[in-house]
Amino acid sequence: MIFITGPLYAGKKDYIREALRLSEEDFHEKAVWDVEELALTESPELLAEKLARYEIVIANEIGGGLVPVTPEEREKREAAGRLSCRLAGKAETVIRVCCGLPQLLKGDWP
Amino acid sequence: MLNLILGGAGSGKSALAEALVQKFPGPRVYLATMTATDTESLERIRRHREMRKGKGFMTLERGENLAGVQVPEGANVLLEDLANLLANEMFGPNNGGPDAVWRGLEGLRSRCASLTVVSSDVFSGGRNYEEESLRYLRNLAELNRRLAGGAELVVEAVCGIPNVLKGKLP
Repeated sequence: MIFITGPLYAGKKDYIREALRLSEEDFHEKAVWDVEELALTESPELLAEKLARYEIVIANEIGGGLVPVTPEEREKREAAGRLSCRLAGKAETVIRVCCGLPQLLKGDWP
Repeated sequence: MLNLILGGAGSGKSALAEALVQKFPGPRVYLATMTATDTESLERIRRHREMRKGKGFMTLERGENLAGVQVPEGANVLLEDLANLLANEMFGPNNGGPDAVWRGLEGLRSRCASLTVVSSDVFSGGRNYEEESLRYLRNLAELNRRLAGGAELVVEAVCGIPNVLKGKLP
């Protein structure tokens, strides 16, 4: 599994689509994105396991702002970060994309 | 030796910092800056204690005024975390502000073998905050930059993976 992380609108999907020369159809079949939204929907272990069955998992980094005001938002943000840690642990390859530029954090370039 | 570990929420920065300090010989001190006020912070403290179990850390709790902290000779101090300490100094009763934080860090650094500071990277949420929050962000950024300038090692935690910004991981 290739895990891609990075801030919003950084070009994460475009990068991997291009790197693997995936058609729109292939991409929809092999990839799952915006996974941070799922962070509190089920147990972290199960969720990470399910997501790791995809070839490509893409998450938005949302832990880079000031601590949110409400406990619910804080919990969600923390859980999103932990989910990313889990996915990165399971992935063979981890890439962070900023401003469209990929940075290899783990494994080999796809 | 001075080390700085940065990261966002849930980025795995604590685990990285602990693993780093465990590599240093000599006594290890975990300097906790969070003062528990509610169940959420108590839970956070519990989780961190669980993580440190068996790693050979002696825990000291100090929410503010680091200047007076006593550490054993040759100690490797892991301070967690700077964002919290600054908030305590800026908005708490001590009212020491960023200068007190900096003096505390300098003093601590001179009294221990290594100081590893965990800090938060909370600067990517835009600037749509109250002036007081922006003042806090500016102060924290200034402290981060000063620390990074003097540090041998600066590491950013990205989903649990160390991204080395300065120096070399041992």
